[in-house]
Amino acid sequence: MKTTYILFLTLFSVITLQAQVDRTVMPKPGPAPEINLGEPQSFNLNNGLKVLVVENHKLPRVSMQLSIDNPPILEGDKAGTASLAGSLLGLGSKNITKEAFNEEIDFLGARLYFSSQGAYAQSLSKYFSRMMELMADAAINPNFTQEEFDKEKDKLITGLKSEEKVVSSISSRVQRALAYGKNHPYGEFTTEATVNNVTLGDVEEFYREYFVPANAYLIIIGDVNFKEVKTLTETYFTSWTKAVPPSFSYSQSKNVPNTQINFVDMPNAVQSEITVQNIVNLKMKDDDYIASLLANEILGGGSDSRLYSNLREDKGYTYGAYSSIGNDKYGPSRFRASAEVRNMVTDSSVVEMLKELELITTKPVTDEELKNTKALYAGSFIMALEDPETIARYALNVEKENLSKDFYKTFLEKLDKVSKEEVETAAKKYFNVDNARVIVVGKGSDILANLENVEFKGKKLPVLAYSKTADRVETPDYSAALPSDVSAQSVLEKYIEAIGGKSKLEGVNTLAMMAEAEMQGMKLNLNIKKTSSDQLMQDVQMMGNSVSKQVLNGDTGYMVMQGQRKDLEEKELKAIKKESAPFTELQLINDDSVVIEGMELVGDKNTYKLKVGENKSAFYDVETGLKLQEVTVTEMQGQQISSTSNFEDYKEVSGILFPYKIMQTVGPQSFEFIVSEIKVNDGVAPADFE
Amino acid sequence: MKLLLVSAVSFFGFAGLAQEVAFEEYNLDNDLHVILHQDNTAPIISISVLYHVGSKDEDPKRTGFAHFFEHLLFEGTENIEKGQWDKIVSSNGGSGNATTNEDRTYYYEVFPSNNLELGLWLESERMLHPVINQKGVDTQNEVVKEEKRLRVDNSPYGKFIENIKRNLFKSHPYKETVIGKMADLDAATLDEFIAFQKKFYSPNNAVLVIAGDFEKENAKKLISDYFKDIPKGAEIARNFPKESPITSEINAKAYDSNIQIPATMIAYRTPGLKNRESQVLEMISTYLSDGPSSKLYKKMVDEEKQALQIGAIPVTLEDYGMYIVFALPVGETSLSTLNTSIETEVEKLRSNLISENDYQKLQNKFENEFVNSNSSVEGIASSLAEYYMLYGDTSLINKEIEVYRSITREEIKEVANKYLKPNQRLVLEYLPEQNTAN
Repeated sequence: MKTTYILFLTLFSVITLQAQVDRTVMPKPGPAPEINLGEPQSFNLNNGLKVLVVENHKLPRVSMQLSIDNPPILEGDKAGTASLAGSLLGLGSKNITKEAFNEEIDFLGARLYFSSQGAYAQSLSKYFSRMMELMADAAINPNFTQEEFDKEKDKLITGLKSEEKVVSSISSRVQRALAYGKNHPYGEFTTEATVNNVTLGDVEEFYREYFVPANAYLIIIGDVNFKEVKTLTETYFTSWTKAVPPSFSYSQSKNVPNTQINFVDMPNAVQSEITVQNIVNLKMKDDDYIASLLANEILGGGSDSRLYSNLREDKGYTYGAYSSIGNDKYGPSRFRASAEVRNMVTDSSVVEMLKELELITTKPVTDEELKNTKALYAGSFIMALEDPETIARYALNVEKENLSKDFYKTFLEKLDKVSKEEVETAAKKYFNVDNARVIVVGKGSDILANLENVEFKGKKLPVLAYSKTADRVETPDYSAALPSDVSAQSVLEKYIEAIGGKSKLEGVNTLAMMAEAEMQGMKLNLNIKKTSSDQLMQDVQMMGNSVSKQVLNGDTGYMVMQGQRKDLEEKELKAIKKESAPFTELQLINDDSVVIEGMELVGDKNTYKLKVGENKSAFYDVETGLKLQEVTVTEMQGQQISSTSNFEDYKEVSGILFPYKIMQTVGPQSFEFIVSEIKVNDGVAPADFE
Repeated sequence: MKLLLVSAVSFFGFAGLAQEVAFEEYNLDNDLHVILHQDNTAPIISISVLYHVGSKDEDPKRTGFAHFFEHLLFEGTENIEKGQWDKIVSSNGGSGNATTNEDRTYYYEVFPSNNLELGLWLESERMLHPVINQKGVDTQNEVVKEEKRLRVDNSPYGKFIENIKRNLFKSHPYKETVIGKMADLDAATLDEFIAFQKKFYSPNNAVLVIAGDFEKENAKKLISDYFKDIPKGAEIARNFPKESPITSEINAKAYDSNIQIPATMIAYRTPGLKNRESQVLEMISTYLSDGPSSKLYKKMVDEEKQALQIGAIPVTLEDYGMYIVFALPVGETSLSTLNTSIETEVEKLRSNLISENDYQKLQNKFENEFVNSNSSVEGIASSLAEYYMLYGDTSLINKEIEVYRSITREEIKEVANKYLKPNQRLVLEYLPEQNTAN
């Protein structure tokens, strides 16, 4: 009895001892969790459509994803066809109008989207059958109309136009064209000309040839029953005509024999976009796939990476510097390291980026880096699993990329096992620092001379110039001397003469201008009134409500931004006064601080560039004398932001030429103001400036 | 980071039959309520604690305390140094945050499931011995002021809620805002903060929810290890003053220097969240003003182009709720025109039944939102915590669908007549503040 008692006591104390937790020590994570991914069931239709079903009854909802895994499509001189086809799909069908189609989806509380090579829908499971019917109908019986085609074509062209001045868009286009070649599906690009080659017939043909079931997957996830899915899919998708898309041959992509700088001049750039890139042949099923992800993450995956720490935190050259590595089962993809940097540090940034690339390809990463990067990767991998779309993507990848069935299930174990040596080997293999293109898109007159002196491994890097459409061009020569008889004053005189002459301009006491622009379907109205006696009123209205207003009346003035009214300070008053005259050039001509800075291209026109203020330049056409552009640069949160106004379509009013089209570009946004009315010595009252 | 200030919590519940959120609940000896929701589909785990303390529990001379604690309790504990909390969470692959409203304060972390113990350690440290010292109070005082500048003072229309509360409530503490008065926080002493912690941050005033991928026996043992020794606190008595009914229209004006376009705001005082009528009013809110296909939006924004924007905020709280409709005029449209348009639609609700088609669409919408709100383990965890603590019935997470389903078109009409009459409303003209210059 006593023995038992003691034994019991001992046992008890052991248990209590085990139950003690030491609060002063942070608990260590348990072993990496196994991933419980839904195991998809599958079947094929006779037309080739492969269907994957992941039953998950936790919530009464379903998602459907249609994904057509065609080999890359070469569009040639009709580039843009695919994009238009994507926009025109999902607008009802031959059996149901666009309006009725949208109304029904709204009533069901569901969502349905199309792209050129797929579709996605999400709804409650009780409406699954109807949603599949709607999706299949829109996919199999699309109703392509000339009216919708014209609308979408306009939208596409407007989008392309606004990209022409955006450094990052040009950079991305040139990067792909140079990496893959312009006759490669990944290297070709859409232009206004290629879009204008596309007809409704081409879209229909594209649809017939490529929106076909041969390489198509339908992935259904959620509260469904496999048998029911099978019956429904057979009912709704059997009529999808069996067809195999045509295949292409296209040029092979190769890396350059020696690292070189490829330079694209964009005179409006206030930052340079630098991309170091090379072709990689990496597939998800490759053994070194995860090691290459880790190498990339350490080099430039995020704010803990080397590129970021060096270029942003240490040097302050940029707001962010990152790298990425692609993979593709059909062919080459790219490794890229990129940063947007200030003009003046473009060359230094290239040097630092190449230095980081060299370092990671020649020395092993540290234990600490590897450990933290793995933890970060594991965390985000795991968190993403909650989203059913992640699970769909994984199931699809396993099929499409021919991965082992347990690829994702064992992903974390594989991640954990990657060694420092494997990371180094992957970096050496995929980051080709000796065969890289360093693509720099920026303002040549500021950066080219310095780029030509960039050395890597003791040798100067060759600099080859390219156009915005990735054609090889002569390296621009910015030292071209100004004609000796040209001065700031002569440029301004020529301008004044060109628009009407000094006496005409001096006879203008008041000026009123109304213009209109559109932003995301909303109307912007611009109303400007000026007088020759230091008065200015500028009001921007959106859908009839004032969003920004500035008023100057002699020595006082105020501005209203987002409802907040603020009196102008001394400095602001001075700046705005300069702008208030109907023709500022009449003052500038007597201003000694206005200097000529050189010649630059604006569009395809040669201009003289005048510095007309602390942060402001104006550009006058060499031939006609007209003002074509103004650029103001401001700094915001360490980023240089330029705002550009382009003046076009000069027309005469009361004997004076005024631009009737003003393109206003601020950062990535641009507005095209069309002038509706200009009044000279009319339409302005003293009350306007109160 | 943890700047979320929840002033309105609403649940949409109208779930399909297939949904069943399984859970188990029990009390520890110190009366900490524990709810476990096991779901091993994804290796994620959410660890959260809801404390039954919100702005209505504050001393009227010390407004803003509850929200202040949401900040203060990230400052560190006896075993977690100041500034380390966030680093511990992120370097273990997790994320976390906290929210406060009038009724409760909620803290949570989401981790890969191998960090259950870490999450329990963090939350038990917070409950057992947070460090509350002058340095932390001073730091967070600045942070909270910055938050108020950002979200209230400099935010367009940011002062609407304080103006509505002030007018709808005369004696109940809902008349104050969650963020509170900065002067009250400045005047508070360290001892007062310590006393507030002692009174409200006790295990018997909290619910711990673990949701996601775990093994039950192991989780129960760890919960016990980390929480069982936290001493129980004194019982909290709650006895808030009642409001007398609103019987004639209240007219008020508010001015905001951050706006240029005025707004009209119409608000009604509604019953507390345990009342079935509160759920009927949520259906009404969705019908009238939720999204582009709602009645008011279609009419006032799309068709008649009177309003730039319209919207509604149904606020469901323990003791009372608020139903607030707002509209911004297009161009020269007057606020009274907007008020008339809104009242016309509300009047239709009082005199007619809504159409069968609209009724069905409404239910589809509710069901979708409810289903999607339960799509993450963290979403489920916070629902479970609130159903237990505020509604007093955890099983509502599955059963509330029956309530919504049982609401009829006739009942919608009845409730509109009971609560949404013109003489029961507040009409607030929310106007741009004009500077005196010029």
